[in-house]
Parts: sequence; structure tokens; C-alpha cells
Amino acid sequence: MGLKRRVIYGLLLCMFAATAVADALSVTDARLRLLPGDLPVAGYFRLINEGDDSVVLSGAESSAFEHVTMHQSTQVDGMAGMEPVPELELAPDGAIEFLPGGYHLMLMKRRSPIEFGAEVPVTLIFADGQRLSVQFQAVSPAAM
Amino acid sequence: MGKQLFLILSVLLLTGCGEQTWRTTDISGAMPELNFNLTDEHGHAVTADDYRGKSTLLFFGFTNCPDVCPTTLAQLAGAVKLLSEDVRKDLQVLFVSVDPARDDPATLRRYTDVFGPRFIGLTGDRAALDALTGRYSTTYSYGEKDESGNYDVSHSSAVFAFNREGDVRLLIRASDPVEAVAEDLRQLSQDS
Repeated sequence: MGLKRRVIYGLLLCMFAATAVADALSVTDARLRLLPGDLPVAGYFRLINEGDDSVVLSGAESSAFEHVTMHQSTQVDGMAGMEPVPELELAPDGAIEFLPGGYHLMLMKRRSPIEFGAEVPVTLIFADGQRLSVQFQAVSPAAM
Repeated sequence: MGKQLFLILSVLLLTGCGEQTWRTTDISGAMPELNFNLTDEHGHAVTADDYRGKSTLLFFGFTNCPDVCPTTLAQLAGAVKLLSEDVRKDLQVLFVSVDPARDDPATLRRYTDVFGPRFIGLTGDRAALDALTGRYSTTYSYGEKDESGNYDVSHSSAVFAFNREGDVRLLIRASDPVEAVAEDLRQLSQDS
């Protein structure tokens, strides 16, 4: 096998491996709860890891917003608040729910107005460098 | 601690002799009647007297709250949807912003309109908000500003419910199912 062929095989193998890893992660029920004006928006979804290795979700970004952070709502002695979540580990064959009253993405400063029903691109970022692009649907807060 | 014990004892005492059964938490008599001086979402000075005559839900929050506040208001909107038109028109939800620096009347109006015509935004200065939150044994506080000037506000997570005379009746929590809330709102509309 010549060098050229070996390089091509190597590249193909790399591409296959990358695809396999990306396929291990999937997202369902992705929606943004759209508030009026330019108020911060919460993003909810279910992230599933069907791979053999644990992964660490370390953040998210969106071309539609200037800032995206991960938060968790808290309830202490009848007081509601929230705290930043720097990262979240997802076990092999595990799932994480971002749900109202719990984990949520906080998306701030819209780059342009968003309508109900719009598909908004959000990329989930993992500590190992993986990136997962997801379309979030903008929904009315009263509908949830 | 003493205040909490008193509240629990009062609730036990009162639920023992009441004939009504509620599915959310009965706090009848454990807290004072509704009373406040605030500014409404049209910029008008208002008092609790302006809202007598209808069942009233009171919730403290702020519009820059992405998760808990819209979740609570959606829970209430879901319950309102289950009510007949007669019961629905006899109900109002007062969303009191404890973040007057960011929540002006126009912002409040646009925000509460999303949840339906029964939702009314109110706010006030620190003295007025301190008086109202203190009256219901709760509080609020501001987190540190981040580099873009955003800050979190902690606030009571529960909703207080009053009958048409402004007498306190219920504490509604996030864990209460929408059907239970709707059932209690029906009963509240008969309460006087």
C-alpha cells in the first residue's frame, strides 16, 4: 500500500470516527420559550448520549443571540433564584433534561427579532471539542 | 422559625374547622388581607382596593427571569384555560415586579399580555415592595451584575391567592398540578 493510499485510508477512518461520535449524541424536544421584546429566553431540550463514553456538556452558542449560558433554577426556603452551571456530565447511555424549573439555557440579546414558530439554530459545545447543531423551535411561554 | 411555627399551627387550626377542602395549600387567616400601594402597567398609582371584587392571585417576580417566572405564569395560564368564562372573568393575576429598575410599565404590559388578559403587571419603589413582600413574610434580593449589566433577582416562588374581599386563602406552588389549581380557582370564585 502506497503512502498516498495510506493517508487516504487514515483520513477516511478519522472521518468515520468523528461521525460515529457525533451520532452518539442526539437532542429531542428542543424549544425556546420566547418572551416579548429583548427579554432573556430559556432554551429547553433533552440530550441523549448513546455512546460508550461519558461526555461533558460545557456550553452553547447561537448565531441568533449574543450570549448563551447554562443555568439551573434553585428553590431555597421558598425563594426562587438561579445559578450558573459551568458543565454537566452525561454518562454513557444517559440523558439530561433541560426543563422548566430546572436546567435551562439562558439566551440573551437577540441579533434580530424572532417570531413564534421560527427555527433557531443553537450549537451545544462539549468539553472534548465536539459540537452538536440543533434547531430550537420558538414557542409561546403561555403554551408550555 | 417562630413565625413559621405560628403559620403551621394557624393553618392546622383553621383547616380543622373549615368546611372547604382545597387541593393547594390553605393559608386562610394565617396572613393579612391584601393591601398595597403600587403603580400599574399603564403607569397609574393603584391600591389593593382597585382590585377588590374579583379573586386575585399575587406573584412576585421580574421580567428578565427566563425560567421560574414564565413557568409559574404558564402554570396559572394553563389553569385559567380550564375555567368556564364565568369563573375566568371573575379572576385577576397580579404580577408584581420586584425589579422596578428594569421593569417599567410598558415592559410589564407587554410581558403580562403574553399570558392573557387576566394578567396585570404592577411594580413600585423599594419602600412599597418591601411593605408588600414583608406583609406576606417573604423577601427579594438582587444578585451581582455581570459584565453586560445583567443580574439575577431572587423572589418568592409561591403564588398567594385571595378571595374577592381580599382575604388570603391559598398558597399555590410550582408542584401543584394545573387541574388542582383550576379546581381551587373555581372554588375561590364562590368564596366570600
